[in-house]
Amino acid sequence: MFRLALKMLLGDRAKYAMLVGGLGFATLLMMQQSAVFVGLMSWTTSHLRNIRAPIWVGDTKVEQANEVKAMRDTEVNRVRSVAGVEWAVPLFFTILQSRLTDGNFKPVMVVGLDTTTLIGRPALMLKGRLADVRLPNAVIIDDLAVQRLSIGRKKPLDVGDQFEINDKEARIVGICKAERHFFGYPYIFTTFDQARLFSPKSRKMLSLVLASPKPGLSAAKVAEAIHQETGLAAYDENRFGWATIWWYVRNTGIPVSFGTTILLGFIVGIVICGQTFYLFVVDNLRHLGALKAMGAGNLTIAAMLLVQAFTVGCIGFGFGAGLTAAFGFAVLDKGMPPFLLPWQLPVFTFVVVMLICMFAALLGILRIWKVEPAIVFRG
Amino acid sequence: MNGDIPSNGPANGSAPNGNGHTLAVHVRGVTKTFGKGEAAVQALKGVDFDVRQGELLMIVGPSGCGKTTLLSVIAGTLEFENGEIDVFGSSLHSLKPREVTAFRKRTVGFIFQQFNLIPTLSLVENVSVPLLINGVKRREAEERSAAMLERLGLKGREHKLPTEFSGGQQQRVAIARALVHEPRMVICDEPTSALDKDTGQQIMEQLRDIARHPERCVIVVTHDNRVFKYADRMTEMEDGRVQRVHDVAARGDRRFDTSFGVTSDG
Ligand SMILES: Nc1ncnc2c1ncn2[C@@H]1O[C@H](COP(=O)(O)OP(=O)(O)OP(=O)(O)O)[C@@H](O)[C@H]1O
Ligand SMILES: [Mg+2]
Repeated sequence: MFRLALKMLLGDRAKYAMLVGGLGFATLLMMQQSAVFVGLMSWTTSHLRNIRAPIWVGDTKVEQANEVKAMRDTEVNRVRSVAGVEWAVPLFFTILQSRLTDGNFKPVMVVGLDTTTLIGRPALMLKGRLADVRLPNAVIIDDLAVQRLSIGRKKPLDVGDQFEINDKEARIVGICKAERHFFGYPYIFTTFDQARLFSPKSRKMLSLVLASPKPGLSAAKVAEAIHQETGLAAYDENRFGWATIWWYVRNTGIPVSFGTTILLGFIVGIVICGQTFYLFVVDNLRHLGALKAMGAGNLTIAAMLLVQAFTVGCIGFGFGAGLTAAFGFAVLDKGMPPFLLPWQLPVFTFVVVMLICMFAALLGILRIWKVEPAIVFRG
Repeated sequence: MNGDIPSNGPANGSAPNGNGHTLAVHVRGVTKTFGKGEAAVQALKGVDFDVRQGELLMIVGPSGCGKTTLLSVIAGTLEFENGEIDVFGSSLHSLKPREVTAFRKRTVGFIFQQFNLIPTLSLVENVSVPLLINGVKRREAEERSAAMLERLGLKGREHKLPTEFSGGQQQRVAIARALVHEPRMVICDEPTSALDKDTGQQIMEQLRDIARHPERCVIVVTHDNRVFKYADRMTEMEDGRVQRVHDVAARGDRRFDTSFGVTSDG
């Protein structure tokens, strides 16, 4: 019976195309938009993956990873003195203007690493030597900086080239790979002292303290201890990431704007699919009524409609998921717009599409359930 | 009429009536009202009638007299209020809805005025539907359906769609579908009214041959006086009641006088 049910639906080319198209489009809208949203949210936590430390300590008021509230240098020692802390190092972070050859300015994110340990250093060097960053005026720039700051030059920036940060000479000793940041600015890594030389003078020049728990201790526990003893805001890496994401969810219009599009996808799906499927059932009322007359029970008919709905649901989902993946591959190289598709998203979208189909099938089932099989004798 | 028949229907699918015939269908005092209150229409006002095994019974009468309604209640596709209906041992008045569905599945073959074939399914798939509903596996169902189509002269066209065929051919497919699960009662509402004269005659001949089976009956509702001659007996309805039953076959020839000059109490 189910095979015949499918043939009935597939035979109705127009409605079948409409159902698959509508569900595919709904899938695309929901999945692609949530992937871009997740991608964007992951950009807000790029610092955590580009700088890498088990514990992040900032000013009392710091709520998320992209917020800098300068502290006094002495806070590093206070963190070091907390029991359970294996090491703690200073980090300087600021946004400065870099002047291009053509006279334009571009903002860059300057990260000053602890000079002795270089903790917070880039994860992947593409060119040059990390240790050279300790040389006078030396910086390591990421590949985005190469792209952005080379404008107006004959050749792209390379190791050995010089450029200006806040009117001061910077010499490139290395090029690294860094994950793109929400702000969209390139990363410039240098030493703590050098970074402070690039920036305008001010009284407090410590942005963050990076720390690690003693072996065997949990980062979360030690972070809590740091907070208790110093009054500073201290997060383990994982909590800092989620705190950052939630901060953006609460304080920006991003979730609303994406949520609207995703909701739109859901509505498009439910309207097109519900209406088309209902029409399909109404068009086939005579035949479904004849099946009832011939002894097919309501449950059999309901199961047939569910099989039809779930089948178009799967095909439509596959279609939309394919388009989403194609979109993903197309933007992956460029990195714009952000796109991140953790396995939960397709699963979630699939469940939503199935719910839409279930709803559509239910509309049809309600319609056919009450039909007296005797209608087949009426003209 | 027929007061000699006990009202507690046949126990075992067959019961002799007063004239020595074995009854297939036994209907007593059946009423059916559509709607409620002012708008209520009483379509059946206490119908009594019988169908014998091995006969083709026609139900005739003016439009709106309740023929389709009667056919629907006998077939178990419509609930009725009062009265008793026994069909080959199933007492429809005492069955639960689920049991009525099972009754239709096993016992009734349907032929509709508009053929009602599913246009996106091939002939053999259309014919196999009653078997599939009865739980027969697809392979066997399609083999039996193909054999049935062959018997009705549609060999070699099993995999074509119904829309490629004429009305008469489609109605033959519908007959194949009505017979494939070997039901004991075949129900037809206006089977020839959508067909031309010659095709209608062929279809009726086929239906009459089907009825020539000791454990079966065919009930045909029709307006079409060109096919009256194929009836064994005719039940004439008027205003929700059975008025007369004509014993056509008893006259010795199969041509029936459409003036209803003959009266008989069956
Ligand atoms: N579903 C329904 N709701 C309300 N009234 C109905 C319904 N079905 C039939 N009727 C009424 O019941 C009466 C008998 O109808 P039925 O269809 O049984 O007549 P019929 O003899 O088959 O007529 P025809 O020859 O035109 O097919 C008519 O008055 C009809 O209007
Ligand atoms: Mg009628």
